[in-house]
Amino acid sequence: MLSRVADNLYWMSRYLERAEHTSRLIAVKLESMIEQSPGEAEISWHRVVTALNGGKFVPSTAADAFEITRALAFEPFNSCSLIACLRLARDNARQVREQISTEMWNRLNRLYLKLTPVDLANVWNDQPGYIFRETVEELHMLEGTTYSTMRHGEGWHFIQLGRYIERAQLVSRLLDLHFGPASRADAQPNYLDWLVLLRFCTAFEAYCKVYTATIRSDRIAEFLLFDAEFPHSVRFAIERLTEALTRVAIGAPAARRAACERLAGRLKASMDFGQIDELMGGTIDIFLANISAQCEQIHEAVYAAYIGYDAETVL
Amino acid sequence: MSRPPLSCHTSHMQQTLFAIAGGLTQPANAGPYANYALGQAYDEMFTPEGVVRPYYEELHQRVGELPTDELRRRQQACEQSFLHQGITFTVYGENQSTERIIPTDLLPRIITAAEWARMEAGLKQRIQALNLFLLDIYAEGRVLKDGLVPRALIYGSKHYRREMRGLPVPHGAYVNVCGTDLIRREDGTFVVLEDNLRVPSGVSYMLANRDVVRRAFPALFRTAGVRPIEHYPQDLLATLKSLAPFQDDVSIAVLSPGVFNSAYFEHAFLARQMGVELVEGRDLVVNDNAVYARTTSGLKKVDVIYRRIDDDFIDPLAFRSDSTLGVPGIFNAYRAGNVVIANAPGTGVADDKAVYAYVPRLIRYYLSEEPILDSVETFLCREPKSLSHVLANLDKLVVKAVGESGGYGMLIGPHASKSERDAFAQKLKVEPENYIAQPTIQLSTAPCFVDGVIEPRHVDLRPFVLTGERTTIAPGALTRVALKRGSLVVNSSQGGGSKDTWVLSA
Repeated sequence: MLSRVADNLYWMSRYLERAEHTSRLIAVKLESMIEQSPGEAEISWHRVVTALNGGKFVPSTAADAFEITRALAFEPFNSCSLIACLRLARDNARQVREQISTEMWNRLNRLYLKLTPVDLANVWNDQPGYIFRETVEELHMLEGTTYSTMRHGEGWHFIQLGRYIERAQLVSRLLDLHFGPASRADAQPNYLDWLVLLRFCTAFEAYCKVYTATIRSDRIAEFLLFDAEFPHSVRFAIERLTEALTRVAIGAPAARRAACERLAGRLKASMDFGQIDELMGGTIDIFLANISAQCEQIHEAVYAAYIGYDAETVL
Repeated sequence: MSRPPLSCHTSHMQQTLFAIAGGLTQPANAGPYANYALGQAYDEMFTPEGVVRPYYEELHQRVGELPTDELRRRQQACEQSFLHQGITFTVYGENQSTERIIPTDLLPRIITAAEWARMEAGLKQRIQALNLFLLDIYAEGRVLKDGLVPRALIYGSKHYRREMRGLPVPHGAYVNVCGTDLIRREDGTFVVLEDNLRVPSGVSYMLANRDVVRRAFPALFRTAGVRPIEHYPQDLLATLKSLAPFQDDVSIAVLSPGVFNSAYFEHAFLARQMGVELVEGRDLVVNDNAVYARTTSGLKKVDVIYRRIDDDFIDPLAFRSDSTLGVPGIFNAYRAGNVVIANAPGTGVADDKAVYAYVPRLIRYYLSEEPILDSVETFLCREPKSLSHVLANLDKLVVKAVGESGGYGMLIGPHASKSERDAFAQKLKVEPENYIAQPTIQLSTAPCFVDGVIEPRHVDLRPFVLTGERTTIAPGALTRVALKRGSLVVNSSQGGGSKDTWVLSA
């Protein structure tokens, strides 16, 4: 597979994962607002903005839910906004138009064309969360379309790699905001915040099946970090990305492949043998930061080995 | 699609369009055809008397039965399909860019089996002569020695590639993909307007139009006996493969300038349909005179490149050094015979405006046959007899500078003032070899569904001719439409659209 194509598929997938995450966070946040006091709402908006890296594009007077939502979802100059992620995903898909299936392209393109002209003011007064719910659903359908119409060859594995590296980082950041230093200071999460966190990760029902509806923060942390079977847990994401790594660039020299697989194997081991009790004592933020950093290293190793290598070195 | 706008071949169309609808008594011309005004040009659907041509009867009737809203709905379905597939070109604005589709018209244009048979034979004959001509001028130059074509015209052309001299090309096929533009004269015969021998585009529209129009008129399509064109990508693949020096495991790639090129959709489409890699210049590296693609597993050799980049940009070492789209060293790899480039570099010399005038003579010279397809009558001002004719008839002719395109350095006689013509006459006398002249031409009209009614619009025709080991032509073409009433400009950038083209099997 062309290195450039792998690059495009990988980034298409990362941006789609980011878009899905953004839509879901906004949808859950808007839906849960009615149950929160203005003060609680402000704190939890702050978490969403930080989790999505909304930064300078979000007005500091955090009370205006409309402006925050607009900035996170539709601000074209915010490179992390939903619409920007979709645009970037589509730009990447466009460059590998012949590699992805027509069904995938049509679905992605239609979603983008549907959301581009949306004026948030027109949907705000009715059910503002609806359009974001719908977007999550359409992105799920795109994932299903990808699964069932594209060959599960190298390109597909680069898509998996992108999705799960992105997911591991996004969920880690979300957990950090709820369990790390930010949560120990003045903004201790309450019961509703824990429910919201589970819903951010589409995890409420899955959590209940494992731990019943008893909401306990350490169990939530354990579930979202270490559950081996839940698709939005960090461990699940890391297992998938490790597996994807073994399936790409099969013909590459062993030394190049080893560099990537070693890093992934190390990260996977730390997830396989991690203990939530040890982390809840106060080291969870270091652990989460480590996961993010290692994902970053894997990304760089993949680029050095398969994508951006110097042609002279292989001749 | 870069080519001079058809308006070069201006006409009196704007003045002479007259409504004869009131005079039409055929009941068939009620409903959506009520305002169909026949002009001086040949109309694809109606005879000059307003009678529907027999092979259009079913379409005419079917469209007449459908309510306007239904036609509109089907038209929108076609456009939606284009939009969703991303068959768009980008218009760059100040703050944001918008993507537009090239409008596709709902009503197919029909070509009879007999018309097609003649056209197919004519196109094959023409491409054969043009390839022999290229082979000749890049080898011994017999045609120049015999004085049939002036040396200066060839060696002075900016599209002549000295680097190609003495270089053998597989099967003598320089032009592997040719898009020939034809128009239909008032008497109903097709004439060649232009040969596009460099990197002609538009074939994806031929296929995409078929896809949407077949869905808009499924029953009609079934009964009409339309010849299929869906095998075009397979034919293209076979053509490219036949250029390789070996036939096992041929590695083929489509070389595109990238996603910002207006024909990018087509490049990706063809690569996907052929099942070959779509590459950009930055994906390729040349080592030891062989071309490799950079893959995740390492470098992979490429044997045949269907390039959609102009000669000038293909190799910064051989041609334009400021090109960032090309591949440094690829031309040397080509010279060494380690990679095939299709079309071959240097074909542009043969689709020059002045060379166009010689094509009928080239056909006679190389093939000892009479040309099957006419060309537009062209006066070469370098020939004294022609020059005096042109000077005497400047008010009736279109005069064009050789080697220019896009309407530069041109005089449209009927539209020019006396002083403009006088000024141009001076230029002609100083440098006659720089100019050619042609009569003004009527493009035929075809019914189009525009703003809720059916009206005639001017059309041309671009079939695609593939030549490798042998020549194949998919029985279909891109019909381009000037969507503005009375306009003769079919270019997509200037309000042009396109139509599906049905070639009938019997």
